[in-house]
Amino acid sequence: MDFEFTQEEKEIIQEVRLFIEKEATPELRQESHEIEYIYGGPIAREFIKKFAAHGWLTPSWPKKYGGLEASEMVTYMIRNELAYSGCPIHYVGAHMAGPSILRHGTEDNKKYLLPLSKGEIEFGLGYTEPGAGSDLMGLEMYAEDKGDHFLVNGQKTFSTHAHVADYHWLAVRTELEGPKHRGISILIVDLKSTKGITVRPIMTFPGTRSNEVYYDNVIVPKENLVGEKNMGFKYIMTALDFERMFPWGHYKKVFEDLIDYTKDATRNGQPLRKDPLIRQKLAQLETEFEVVKLLYYQLAHMLDNGKVPNYQSSMEKLFFSELTRRMSHTIFEILGLGAQVTEHDKRAALHGMGEFFSKWCLIETIVGGASEIQRNIMAQRGLGLPRA
Amino acid sequence: MDFDINKEQKMLKKSAREFFAKEVDTEMVREWEADETGYSPKIYKKMAQLGWLGLLVPEAYGGEEMDFPDMTVVLEEMGASAMPSPFFTSGVVSSLTLLAAANDGQKKKLLPGLCSGKKIFTLAYDETSTSMSPVNVATAAVDKGDSYEISGTKCYVPYAHVSDSIITLVRTGDAVDGGASGTSLILIDPKADGVAVDILKTSTADKLCEVVLDKVQVPKDNVLGELGKGWEVLEPVLQQCGVAKCAEMVGACARVMKMTVDYAKNRVQFGQPIGSFQAIQHHCANMITCLETSDLITRQAAWRIGTGEGWEKDAAMCKSWASENLRELMMLAHQVTGGFGFMEEADYQLFYRRVRSAEVMFGTGTYYREIVADQMGL
Repeated sequence: MDFEFTQEEKEIIQEVRLFIEKEATPELRQESHEIEYIYGGPIAREFIKKFAAHGWLTPSWPKKYGGLEASEMVTYMIRNELAYSGCPIHYVGAHMAGPSILRHGTEDNKKYLLPLSKGEIEFGLGYTEPGAGSDLMGLEMYAEDKGDHFLVNGQKTFSTHAHVADYHWLAVRTELEGPKHRGISILIVDLKSTKGITVRPIMTFPGTRSNEVYYDNVIVPKENLVGEKNMGFKYIMTALDFERMFPWGHYKKVFEDLIDYTKDATRNGQPLRKDPLIRQKLAQLETEFEVVKLLYYQLAHMLDNGKVPNYQSSMEKLFFSELTRRMSHTIFEILGLGAQVTEHDKRAALHGMGEFFSKWCLIETIVGGASEIQRNIMAQRGLGLPRA
Repeated sequence: MDFDINKEQKMLKKSAREFFAKEVDTEMVREWEADETGYSPKIYKKMAQLGWLGLLVPEAYGGEEMDFPDMTVVLEEMGASAMPSPFFTSGVVSSLTLLAAANDGQKKKLLPGLCSGKKIFTLAYDETSTSMSPVNVATAAVDKGDSYEISGTKCYVPYAHVSDSIITLVRTGDAVDGGASGTSLILIDPKADGVAVDILKTSTADKLCEVVLDKVQVPKDNVLGELGKGWEVLEPVLQQCGVAKCAEMVGACARVMKMTVDYAKNRVQFGQPIGSFQAIQHHCANMITCLETSDLITRQAAWRIGTGEGWEKDAAMCKSWASENLRELMMLAHQVTGGFGFMEEADYQLFYRRVRSAEVMFGTGTYYREIVADQMGL
């Protein structure tokens, strides 16, 4: 056992920190915040390219694809550092599409790896459909095999990156007969120059943008099929085992700002930090952040030791997302009326992040697999309980 | 970061698991609870022979000289057996107290007997305040030249009725600095004149005693270490014992987790195993989260204690988190198992009572969160 990072890991993180300090301008952070910390804004593209030049975007990848052949631990640390500092996270490409290509991809697919690791391109996820949310197997977007190409028709929804990403990581149905999960494939679709794709905004109530995406007789070359046909569902599930990780640094930063707030603010002539109830609440959150840290780095440790986290990654996601709600409650209790003032107002406390996250925490327990799905996974895959 | 126990710890865990599987079953546990002695001296002796009583004690004093995390591995398996015994109070609490408080001569004299199991030690620190504070230590040691005359009542003293020596926190000076100064640790022979031991009737029946001291004459040589430093030395020891207790309860709850999942897979209602219902599955998912987060945070605290420095915050987070989440796990286990789990003859109650007892041992969640707040600079 050893619950410290190694000297080498600490040094890499120190370098990353210095880089972020120097390169992450207020403009970058603002852009990043406005597009929900995803990658694709014009300032972010410049930032990520410089960042990726150090190999930090895809540290665990093989060197020939632009990685450092470093540990997953390093990867997890860097991702969390980006989250902590409010920088955009190149998530879908570097963390989901890329590793799946490395694992299952054809030689044609692998040509995307270098541009990914250099931060030149980003993918958007195209999984969810109006009729397929938690029940992903029910997806209906159809890709008809036309010999030398696929002809794709259908609709995706909540495709969060689609308006800024370069490529769609698209789950489609390629087989109408037989078990549903054996008829799904993954296609890579160029979002910027393919005809027949319409991207329309879905505005969320915290003010961020997601999208619905329509495919109308879209021609996708055969070489853009990821791995083998009809193996898509298996690839998606494998990717979830290996890549379901949720950095939590951005919330830790808000928590630290909250602690600072209680050090300065007074109530009834007494510093807030000396109020026994507030001390209890903050100590509880501090402990919960320690728990999420352990759950998060445990995933990296498992991967680095040849183990496959499946229910453990659900546990991390579930715990982290529910923690964000509990933190929001505590922020409101401590800030009182001031908690509702938005970031756009001169009286905003905690830069308005308390207000913003009070809305945003609602999506954390839904996005990337709702809490109920995570609990099902833990019960069925982790504990071996039977399906209904 | 390395979350895994090492090879030696795995071997130790395996041999402890095999030992308890062979030596202890829950029927015996019920018998020991009902019996006034409260444990099996035979098994206690076997544990001593395996070196477990002296796991943390240096070889020079008759111990195994292993690390804190090594000990937690054995405690996990002990917890899974639900066995009551003076092991924790002698092999963990008293050995840590003696190592921290006693001078070299005292260690040489006392620890070999503790390690071999020939002498059982226990610790009497609380009185009626049930708080982790020295303010209310009122048991007075009056200076009589070569000896102290000690009078007062110590409470919640584990296995005092079978102990050979009670390490007792007494007041030897005025209570200044919040009461910490002026307290000392002194060895009292339970068979001495003026000592009366009464077993309290508690939930776990693990023989917590009231020890009434009436003008007990104790030689001055029995003071452990430095006079007036009792609480100062004892407080960190008690916090480490809190982590050790968490390890024991993690082991207990790991067993309950397995029992509960097995039950959910086999109990049929509405024509199917109840484990196939999402309501039950989600309880079980919450249980495994309680268990694994408690396990992780306990392992971290045990490791940090083993490094010897900067462990206070980790230990405090461990005890507050594990106490409350293992309690939650037990409550969910009872919810899943319904009337079955509520029966005396089902084993759930054995573990439930122990987890609730551990929750209030060595400080509650509130006490430890205050330490965390301090460590955060609040």
